[in-house]
Amino acid sequence: MKVKFDFVIHWLWTIVFSLLALSGLAMVGAKYGWILQYELAKADYTHRVLAAVFVILTFISIGYEVYRALKSDEKKLTWFIIGKGGYQLFTLITTLIFIITGAIIWVCMDTNMAAVSFALYIHEKLTYVVVASVIWHIYQKCHALVWPAKKQETKEPRIMKKLADAE
Amino acid sequence: MMQKPWFKTFIWIISTAFFFFASAIIISYLSPEPSEQQIMKFMSGMMDAMHGSLMGLSMSLEHDTELKALIDTAAAVTIPLVLLGFLFGLFMKLRRKKDVK
Repeated sequence: MKVKFDFVIHWLWTIVFSLLALSGLAMVGAKYGWILQYELAKADYTHRVLAAVFVILTFISIGYEVYRALKSDEKKLTWFIIGKGGYQLFTLITTLIFIITGAIIWVCMDTNMAAVSFALYIHEKLTYVVVASVIWHIYQKCHALVWPAKKQETKEPRIMKKLADAE
Repeated sequence: MMQKPWFKTFIWIISTAFFFFASAIIISYLSPEPSEQQIMKFMSGMMDAMHGSLMGLSMSLEHDTELKALIDTAAAVTIPLVLLGFLFGLFMKLRRKKDVK
């Protein structure tokens, strides 16, 4: 079985993003804590660790796109998370904003509260936009959710059956 | 891969999760102001998170001389170990090359 690089990155990124969204939403405020039963220590830890994985996966993807551009590879990678247009471009822009605002929150937490507040506001509101956009993405690609039809097993070839019927 | 039942199940779970997130956002955003109990739970959760963070760990470390000494020893041992590992790797690589020749 041959599994493509863009396919693997797409689904790894999906898992990481969904867990980041879950842990991040629980930390938005007191009204949101119920999502993880107010287990904010675990949410915070998960969010920090997975954010590192998220950044690594994004940088690997950007590096791969740059490598493809240098090699003048124009082949469209259908599963890839980032690209030059459409939802891939949207993902690239929003991911970079997530990473930049996340880094500001992480670095400036003890020094510049104004910067942290601004970054938190952007980080939070962007999450709402991206979750809505993912639902739109799922709607567009809903054929992936269709369960494969079961193959009807026939003991003899169809032509033989027809011949038998004709006789 | 996309046709495998276990992978279909996985896609269904992930897709459903995003609908759950959207519902959670709408429910939380439109819910009335949090009660005092909710605020207290959130604050204590955040305090726990702070204790587990690097800042919290460094704060507790300041008063723990035993742990401080242990970390100093570990740091002192780590660098020679990394160097030794690197040299051993290099030695193995060179030896293999010789064997091939």
